Amino acid sequence: MKAFSASGSAKGMNIKMVKNKNILNTDYLIIGNSAAGLSAAENIRKNDKNSPITVLTKEKYSNYSKPLTTYYLAGRLEPGNLYFKKSNFYEENNIDLKTNQNVVSIKSSDNLAITEQGNQYLYNKLLIASGGRPIIPEIRVIDKTGKTLSLDEAMSSVKGIFTLTTLDDAIMIRKYINEYSIKTASILGGGLIGLKAAEALLGLHLNINIVELSDKLLSASFDETASGILIEAIKKSGSSIYCGQTIEEIYTENNSINSFKLSNGRKIPSDLLILAVGVLPDTGYLKNSGIKTDAGIITDSRMKTSIDNIYAAGDIVKSHDVLSGSDKNMAIWPIAVKQGEVAGSNMSGIDTAYPGGFLMNSVEILGMPMISLGQSSIEYDDKNKDLKVYKSHDTDRKIYRKIVVRQNRAVGAILIGAIERAGIYWGLINNNVDVSEIGENIVKEDFGLIQLPADYRKHLVVGEGIEV
Amino acid sequence: MKKIFIDEQYCIGCRLCEIYCQVKHSKSKKILKAFREDQPGTLARVLVEEIGSNSFAIQCRHCEDAPCTGACISGAMAKNENTGVVICDEEKCVGCWSCIMVCPYGVIKRDIKSKKVASKCDLCFDEEEPVCVKNCPNEALKIKEI
Ligand SMILES: Cc1cc2nc3c(=O)[nH]c(=O)nc-3n(C[C@H](O)[C@H](O)[C@H](O)COP(=O)(O)OP(=O)(O)OC[C@H]3O[C@@H](n4cnc5c(N)ncnc54)[C@H](O)[C@@H]3O)c2cc1C
Ligand code: SF4
Ligand code: SF4
Repeated sequence: MKAFSASGSAKGMNIKMVKNKNILNTDYLIIGNSAAGLSAAENIRKNDKNSPITVLTKEKYSNYSKPLTTYYLAGRLEPGNLYFKKSNFYEENNIDLKTNQNVVSIKSSDNLAITEQGNQYLYNKLLIASGGRPIIPEIRVIDKTGKTLSLDEAMSSVKGIFTLTTLDDAIMIRKYINEYSIKTASILGGGLIGLKAAEALLGLHLNINIVELSDKLLSASFDETASGILIEAIKKSGSSIYCGQTIEEIYTENNSINSFKLSNGRKIPSDLLILAVGVLPDTGYLKNSGIKTDAGIITDSRMKTSIDNIYAAGDIVKSHDVLSGSDKNMAIWPIAVKQGEVAGSNMSGIDTAYPGGFLMNSVEILGMPMISLGQSSIEYDDKNKDLKVYKSHDTDRKIYRKIVVRQNRAVGAILIGAIERAGIYWGLINNNVDVSEIGENIVKEDFGLIQLPADYRKHLVVGEGIEV
Repeated sequence: MKKIFIDEQYCIGCRLCEIYCQVKHSKSKKILKAFREDQPGTLARVLVEEIGSNSFAIQCRHCEDAPCTGACISGAMAKNENTGVVICDEEKCVGCWSCIMVCPYGVIKRDIKSKKVASKCDLCFDEEEPVCVKNCPNEALKIKEI
């Protein structure tokens, strides 16, 4: 890997300055210091011991896990404990991390990434793993005098309205709660991030309002029963949930939010609002780069973009969903890690395919563990006549299990309460296993490997050493 | 690395492996205390599956390409590159159960007795031989270098 570095790659001297003092030369440039970027960097280093690897992040932090930020919000973890790679990770892998470097454009014809801070990074291979940005819905923000702003404009000027996708967001929210002794907080959006925020705020003993457009919480993965169990538990904690509603107007006083109006006209007092309606691939800065995007970066199965030496991975990518066969945004941690791994391998010369993935999540709210996998919200109906849906619901023990089978293959699962062996279903879905022999045992609480088809059990353990 | 091999045909479902594992990972390391007194108690990290006369014990396979490590949001679940053993750093673990969601063997348990942590086989890295293997009366578990 010689490429543009006229200077070799002595340890600690990864970046050589060429031409002028603002052009920095590296072999592997990675934009994004998170799940996808770092798993790629680690994999590149496994295959290529010497070439310089440079990781850029626009944030000031050296390493933290986004999913852990709600644990910080809840007061369960301090900022120093949010890392997911140990502090010696960069040194051990000889990775040059540059914080506070916000890439504003990519000149792919010159192999250059340009940052707001005035640096230009000359690369041989580039990985774009810069994730998503929070969606800001269109809501009018009105003050006492009737002056109206768009929510987008109000984000920077009105106090008490936040998004929650970075550690800085979480720090600002926690500070706001403490500074103004907030007792009631509202969350717009009952998806994964909204619920994780809710879990954190419930842990701080705040009263919460959740406003969700759909008639269910976690609507992408939960069915009515699962959502119902969750809604009941949250309501029991003294909080309110407004499903089938959105926020129409936000009212402010002294430049701070004090209430909002739902679509049904109801006015709700609130001095804190977290916007959690979703994230979108943040592709704005790629506009003139020549990299093909369509609601996310388009890649091939090697995670390569439309430009030969540029790869992409994680939340910024339009990913292949193996269950629907289509491509969509699947902004979850395990997918980002896997794609990063694949991109890293290919960038460092080991040909590897990304097989695609499917959505899943695991959250625990009010002591109730909940896992959903794949196409879990669907039901047998006119549109889905090829489905077999197995369910078991123990209302006393708050245990709900649902397994969705399409044409003899498991395609989805919801487990609430009894989640222990959830991964077995992940394996069945992932490996496209014929589950017809298992019948309704598949949904039972004591379902285990012992009920699996013998040939799958054998396949599972090839090289891993169970003799069956 | 070393791996535990499971010989289904020799397993008699006695669950001694579970008992020895639980004692080994207990605070007191004494059988009575481990089961009756230790606070917080602990869980066995090997589990026996049984239907009729058919049974086998299973514990973490320390997978080559371990899905649990890629799903872990805290970096707690990690494979030691030198030994190949996949270990959960219980200090770091936040009990999000992402690892449980993707372990195709279903061998990670929720330990919620004190701090919530993912509990799984550590291959008894500090013993000469895993205690489940050592104490199986019928050699249904074997450890081999592969
Ligand atoms: C609050 C919260 C909770 C979550 N909980 C879960 C969960 O429990 N389970 C789960 O599976 N997923 C969860 N997710 C989703 C998960 O965090 C993401 O899927 C994952 O972080 C995606 O990783 P990534 O590497 O693609 O991008 P990100 O994690 O978004 O990282 C992007 C990186 O790129 C950098 N960057 C961005 N733009 C630029 C630029 N222009 N120049 C330089 N650097 C840039 C950023 O600083 C950052 O380092 C959660 C997300 C949030 C926000
Ligand atoms: S816990 Fe499960 S997924 Fe992880 S290494 Fe062990 S067997 Fe594999
Ligand atoms: S439960 Fe612990 S080990 Fe498992 S994924 Fe979550 S943090 Fe990692």
